[in-house]
Amino acid sequence: MIDVRRTVDAVWKLESAAIIGGLTRIVRDVGLAEELAQDALVAALEQWPESGLPDNPGAWLTTTAKRRAIDHLRRAARLERRHEDLARELDQPQDVEHEDVLRLMFLSCHPVLPTPQRVSLTLRLVGGLTAAEIARAFLTSEPVITQRVAAAKEALAREGVPFELPVGESLAGRLSSVLEVVYLIFNEGYAATSGDDLMRPGLCQEALRLGRLLAELAPDEAEVHGLVALMEIQAARSAARTGPSGEPVRLHEQNRGRWDPLLIRRGFTAMLRARDIGGPPGPYVLQAAIAVCHTQARTAEDTDWAQIATLYDALVRLLPTPIVRLNRAVAVGEAHGPEAGLALVDELTTDRTLRDYHLLPSVRGDLLARLGRQAEARVEFGRAAAMTKNAAERAFLLRRAGELETDTSVVTLAQAATDFLARGDLDTATLRSYGQTLRRLRLSLGDRRPLESLTAQDVTRVFELSWSDAAAKTWNRHRSAIRTFTAWGSLADLAAGLPRRAETRQRIPAIGTEHLERLWNLGAPVREQTLWRLLHESAAQVRVVLSLDVEDLDLEDRRARASGTWVSWRSATARLLPELLAGRTRGPLFLADRRPGPARMPATEDLCPDTGRSRLSYERAEYLFKQATRALDPAGRGYTLRQLRPS
Amino acid sequence: MRYLMTTKATDQTPDEKLYAEMGKFIEEMTAAGVLLATGGLDPKGIRIASAGDEITVTDGPFTEAKEAVAGFALVEVRSEEEAIELARRFRKVVGDGESTIQQVFGP
Repeated sequence: MIDVRRTVDAVWKLESAAIIGGLTRIVRDVGLAEELAQDALVAALEQWPESGLPDNPGAWLTTTAKRRAIDHLRRAARLERRHEDLARELDQPQDVEHEDVLRLMFLSCHPVLPTPQRVSLTLRLVGGLTAAEIARAFLTSEPVITQRVAAAKEALAREGVPFELPVGESLAGRLSSVLEVVYLIFNEGYAATSGDDLMRPGLCQEALRLGRLLAELAPDEAEVHGLVALMEIQAARSAARTGPSGEPVRLHEQNRGRWDPLLIRRGFTAMLRARDIGGPPGPYVLQAAIAVCHTQARTAEDTDWAQIATLYDALVRLLPTPIVRLNRAVAVGEAHGPEAGLALVDELTTDRTLRDYHLLPSVRGDLLARLGRQAEARVEFGRAAAMTKNAAERAFLLRRAGELETDTSVVTLAQAATDFLARGDLDTATLRSYGQTLRRLRLSLGDRRPLESLTAQDVTRVFELSWSDAAAKTWNRHRSAIRTFTAWGSLADLAAGLPRRAETRQRIPAIGTEHLERLWNLGAPVREQTLWRLLHESAAQVRVVLSLDVEDLDLEDRRARASGTWVSWRSATARLLPELLAGRTRGPLFLADRRPGPARMPATEDLCPDTGRSRLSYERAEYLFKQATRALDPAGRGYTLRQLRPS
Repeated sequence: MRYLMTTKATDQTPDEKLYAEMGKFIEEMTAAGVLLATGGLDPKGIRIASAGDEITVTDGPFTEAKEAVAGFALVEVRSEEEAIELARRFRKVVGDGESTIQQVFGP
């Protein structure tokens, strides 16, 4: 009944942090440490089925891994310490092991790593999860996680990040980086940002475990206990926060009898530990205090909102993020009435970071509904539903919108936009362009927004949020869409607050001489070399050059007649052309690599009558050029063919 | 997932050494974030039985004391194998005897 493979896996998950931590201290390279630990794991998988489970599987793995590390050091002849010292490594007291795990957490959450790498590396090294398990939890693919973990290990080695406990001034920053990673893992599980389930409990548990571990390893840090308290209390509510069909249940509607008293008690205990340490409360302690306040209320009506609003006032000073400000608005709305809450929410409607955040319209809708402004509330819930990526949440928001009564005779923004785009006299490009403008307008203002109530101010706000830093051309394109829409609907001038922007034609600079030299020496295929040289020497338009046929060429005079103009070149092109032509006497000069498929057969003039291949397209030529020049371009994007013109 | 491990009473009386080892083991499991709650149980106990409308309350101790549960541990783990591994470690500390692990549903 005991499956050895699964037992090995279970033992590994319990011990991996201590094993990898211990090995990293010995070999000073977390990547190598993990490899050695994996070797021990493989050895276990090979030997245990034969020999049976060892007496103490955890200790077996640890010892085997450490032996391998010592062997490795001996082989690498990097033996700075005496053999006896190394032998002693095999028998480390527990507190050293604890420190190793703590060091490992600081290492895997090191600020030199981008956040997704920190998260993956921490779950891998400290949580003992496989890449496949992490990928499943984050709804991504295994290679993505494997690559992240590898990149993280490489970056740590490259930056020479030491395996140590931060002290003094650096401690606070490093610790907050660790806490951030743990809370991020928790939140990814608690408020699944995408997918069909509202929660992925595995991640919550993983985070709780990391947090509890951290609390034992760094018991003197109030914020650590604050984070643990926060997570325990939030986890306590998890069963109550989804309804029978997976829909979210809001805090004040939750059945408090379904909150897990054990986790609540653990949360309170962690909170007391944080309080005992003292000092000014940090962001996690404050958030935990808020969670405690909610939990202490026997019913939703008993909630001490005034106290919660005060705690948010303190939190917003430490952590003035839009999300915290939004939550504060909710608390103020409860403590001092929806009017006061709405005033705070309205301050946030111009915040770009919340542009697509569904909870903003959702909270706003809630406050508006309480103020009796049903129609506006309905619009907001509709917007929130359109923004969320979570299916359960979307259904919930649509239901809330549906519960509010509205006058159906009113023409809504969605209806008007659909009619406008369906009027039939717009060409495809215009239709697509207008569609983009109106889609953004609908998302920002709400599908159910009555058309009559739209003001120039609303539209201006949407433009500022969406396109204030776009190119003048883009801005003007959206502006003209609004103007046409306004004229079509005989509306008040919605574009009144949108000045036309001057379109200064920004010429992208030509490629510099030095880069050109490197380009010529890239060793590109002859077709590319000829095209690039020809573009550079002739200064002709890319389209014109690609439209050249072999018959047009006058090799003697180094020129060709195309589209009513002359394209002429100099020696470099002249040297390359014979090789490109390779005896061809007719058809397109620049040919695609393959013959076209039957479904996308081009016109005869774009086909080579001899080889059956079609003319090289602008898109393909541009793509190849970008790819080839990516390494040359200081911006890393690659150049465009147009930039080949002589400077 | 949560598992409840219950351990049956034995004849042997725990000595200082066992207390120390148990203390250490509990600390370790708590530190690892695995052990949620644990405790020993009074062997006396009170039995409450219902039959129809009748509720009978009987004070212990009971004759079949060896079958009684003497202690419990509630652990939060990622798999059944992890729970078994923890129980195995626990049994190594306490010596001869018997424990049961059962998955806990809810709350």
